[in-house]
Amino acid sequence: MCTGVLDVHEIFCSYGNTPILKGVNFSIPKGNFLGIIGPNGSGKSTILKTISRVLTPASGKVILLDQDINSITRVEMSRRLAVVPQETRIDFDFTVEEIVLMGRLPHLGKFKKESQRDFDLAREAMELTGTLHLAHRKITELSGGEKQRVIIARALTQEPEVILLDEPTSHLDINYQTEVLDLMKKLSRENQLTVVMVLHDLNMAAQYCDYLVLLSRGKVFAQGSPQEVMTAPNIKAVYNSDVIITNHPVNNRPMLIHLSKTDNSSSKKTDNISIHVVGGGGASSLLLQELVTFGYKVTCGVLNVGDSDWEKARALGIEIVAAPPFSAISETCYQKNLEFMKEADVVILASIPFGSGNLKNLEAVLEINSKNNSRSLIVLEEDDISKRDYTGGKASDIYHKLIKAKPSVVHSIKEVTTILGEMTL
Amino acid sequence: MGLRKLPWKITILLFAFILCLTMVLATGVGAVNVNPGEINKMLLSHLPFFSSWVVPDWSKVDETIIFEFRLPRVILAALAGASLALAGATFQGLFRNPMADPYVIGVSSGAVLGAAIAVIFSIDINIFGFSAVPLMAFLGALLTILIVYHIAKFGRKVAVLTLLLAGVVVSSLLSAVVSFLLFMSGEKLHQIIFWLMGSFSGRHWNYVLMGIPYFLLGMGAIFYYARELNVMLLGEESAQHLGVEVEKVKKVLLISASLLTATAVSGGGIIGFVGLIIPHIVRILVGPDHRILLPAVAFMGAISLVLADAIARIVLAPMEIPVGIITTLFGGPFFIYLLRQRKNAPL
Repeated sequence: MCTGVLDVHEIFCSYGNTPILKGVNFSIPKGNFLGIIGPNGSGKSTILKTISRVLTPASGKVILLDQDINSITRVEMSRRLAVVPQETRIDFDFTVEEIVLMGRLPHLGKFKKESQRDFDLAREAMELTGTLHLAHRKITELSGGEKQRVIIARALTQEPEVILLDEPTSHLDINYQTEVLDLMKKLSRENQLTVVMVLHDLNMAAQYCDYLVLLSRGKVFAQGSPQEVMTAPNIKAVYNSDVIITNHPVNNRPMLIHLSKTDNSSSKKTDNISIHVVGGGGASSLLLQELVTFGYKVTCGVLNVGDSDWEKARALGIEIVAAPPFSAISETCYQKNLEFMKEADVVILASIPFGSGNLKNLEAVLEINSKNNSRSLIVLEEDDISKRDYTGGKASDIYHKLIKAKPSVVHSIKEVTTILGEMTL
Repeated sequence: MGLRKLPWKITILLFAFILCLTMVLATGVGAVNVNPGEINKMLLSHLPFFSSWVVPDWSKVDETIIFEFRLPRVILAALAGASLALAGATFQGLFRNPMADPYVIGVSSGAVLGAAIAVIFSIDINIFGFSAVPLMAFLGALLTILIVYHIAKFGRKVAVLTLLLAGVVVSSLLSAVVSFLLFMSGEKLHQIIFWLMGSFSGRHWNYVLMGIPYFLLGMGAIFYYARELNVMLLGEESAQHLGVEVEKVKKVLLISASLLTATAVSGGGIIGFVGLIIPHIVRILVGPDHRILLPAVAFMGAISLVLADAIARIVLAPMEIPVGIITTLFGGPFFIYLLRQRKNAPL
C-alpha cells in the first residue's frame, strides 16, 4: 500500500464540530514535486498541518519514509521533513545566518555548538536561495520576500527528504516567485528532494508540479498529472468559474485563462445569435474574445493553422474553418466558409490585412452578401482598406463593391457589440 | 554593538569580573564604610587555603558588619537581580514580545500575594526544607501565570496583547487583595509594607540559603532550553517543525520563570523594571541568541540590583530607601527612552 516517500491515508480532520478534511488520500514518490490546489477553505493548509503534525487528524495515517509520523519523535521527524510557512513574524534581531543555522537544531546534540559542517550547510542553503549576501544583516531589516527566502534556506539546512511549503510565494514579487519555484524544481530533480507545495496560482501549479492534488470541500476532487487535473470541467466544478485551458507555448503544459463571469450573467439572451467572423493575422483576436465573453455563438474562418487568430479561436473553443499553414485558401475551404456564413445570423468582416492568400475570404463575403440580404453584415474598419491591401488594388476593388451594398460599417469593437446588443433587444 | 563579535567565553568572563567587582565595592558602602582592600582580606581569611596568609588587622565590628549584614544582602540582591532578569528574558522569549516581564504579566503580584498570606497568617510549614514564605510566593506566582495564560488563550492561540492586558488586570486584582490583607493585618502592617516596597534590609544568610536552591533549579531549566527558546521566537509552529516539543518546553519555562520570580519576591519584595529592562540592554549588547543572552542577562541583572541596593543604602545614609524605589526611578525613564528608540528600530 505504501509506495511513496509520503503517504497520506484516509485523513479525516475537523476544527471543533466543523469537518475540514473528509477522507484525503494521496501518495508522493521520492523526488517528485506535488502541488496541492483548491479554493479557499478546501482544506489545503489543514492537510499540510496534518502532515507536519501540527494538527492531529481525527482518523487516518500519514506515513513518512515508511513510518507512521505518530510513532516517531518530533526531532526525528524534523530531520526528514521541513516546513516553510506562509509567513514568519520575527521581532528579535537575529542575523540571517543565525536564523538559517536554527535549521540545524534537530541534528545537534543538546549543548553542542555548531560545527564547521553546520556552517557550511547553512552557507550552501543561503547560496541556493540567493541570501548569502544578507548573511550578516538583521532579519528584522529585510523585506518580506527576502525574509521568505531566508526561511526557505533554514528549511533546507534541516537536510530534509521532504519539504512542505504553504503558499510560499504569496508575498514575493513575480521574479522571486519563479525563482523559488525554479529552485524547488531543481532540488526535486537533482537532489531527489520531495516537494509538497500548496499553491494558489493554478498556472504556476501546472507549470511546475509533476503531480497535482485538487481539493474540494475537504476531499480530493481529482489527482494526477497537470494535464489530467487542470481541465475546464474540473475547474468549473471546483471553483465554479469558466476557464479555457490552452497549452503553454514553451513547455506545452496546461495553461488556464479565466473568462469574465459578469458578462456571462448579463440578462440579455445572446447565445441564440450565431456570428461568423472573417478574420486572420491577429486582427480579429480581440473581437473574438469580446464576442465569446458576451456569450454569442461564434464561428470563424478561413484561418491558417498557427496564425495568431487561429490560436486565439482555438483557445476560446470556437469552431474554425482552417487552412494549412502559410498556404492560400483552397476551394474546399472557400465553400466551407460560405456554409458557415449561410448558417450565421451575422457575418462580421474583421479589419484584416489582405494578401493573395486570403483574398478569397473577401470574395466569399461579397458573394454571400449579394445572395441573401436577410443576413446582417458588419464591416469592422479599424484601418482604411488602402493600408491593409497587399494585393495591388484587387482587395480594394472588391472591398468598395462590398461597401456599396451598404452594410453596417463601424470603426471599433465597441460599436460592433453595440449593434449586436440592439439586435438582441 | 561590540560585544556581539566577542567569543562567548570572553563575554561571560567580562560580565563575571564586573559582577565580582561590583559586589566587593557594594559590600563596603553603607552607614559604615569599609575599604575594598580590607574586604578582600576578610574574604580571603574565610577561605580554607588562604586564611594562613592573611593577618587579621581589621576591627571585629567591621567584620561583623561585613559578614553578618552586608555580604548576605549583597549576595541576596545579586540572586534576586539575576532571577528577575532571567525570568524577564524567558517571558519575553516565550511570548515573543519584548514588553513582557514578571511585573507586567502579573507573576510578581501573585508571588507577593502568596508571600503576604504567609507572613500575615504566620503560616509555619516546611516542605522538603522549603519554608512557608518562598513556597507561598512560588504558588502565588505559578497560579497567576496559569490564570493569565488561560484568560489570553483562545482556541489554540495565545494573543500576546490579550496576554499583557490580562496580566495587567490580574495584577491589579491581586494587588487589591494584598491591600485588603494589609488593611486587616494590624501590627504586621509596617513589616509587610516595607517588604512590598522592595528591600534587602536586614536579610541574613538564611534568606540566601533559602533562595539558592530555587535559583539554581529555575536557572538550570531555563539554560537547558536556551536553544529551544531561540527557535520559539520564530513562532510555535516553526519550533514544532524544528523538532521542539513546544507544549512541554513552554510548561517547563513558565514554571521556571515563575520559580525565579518567586525567589526574587520572597527575598526582596517587589522590585520593578529589572526583569523588563535588563534583557533589553543585554540584547543590544550581545544579540538575541539565548545561549549567550541568558547567562549575560543573569550577570547583568545581578550587577544592576547590587548597584541599586548600594545606592539605596548610601543616598540617605544612615537611612535606607527601599531598593524598589531606586529601580523604578532609574528603570522607568530608561524604559521610556527604549520605547522611543523602538520607533526607529525593532528591539
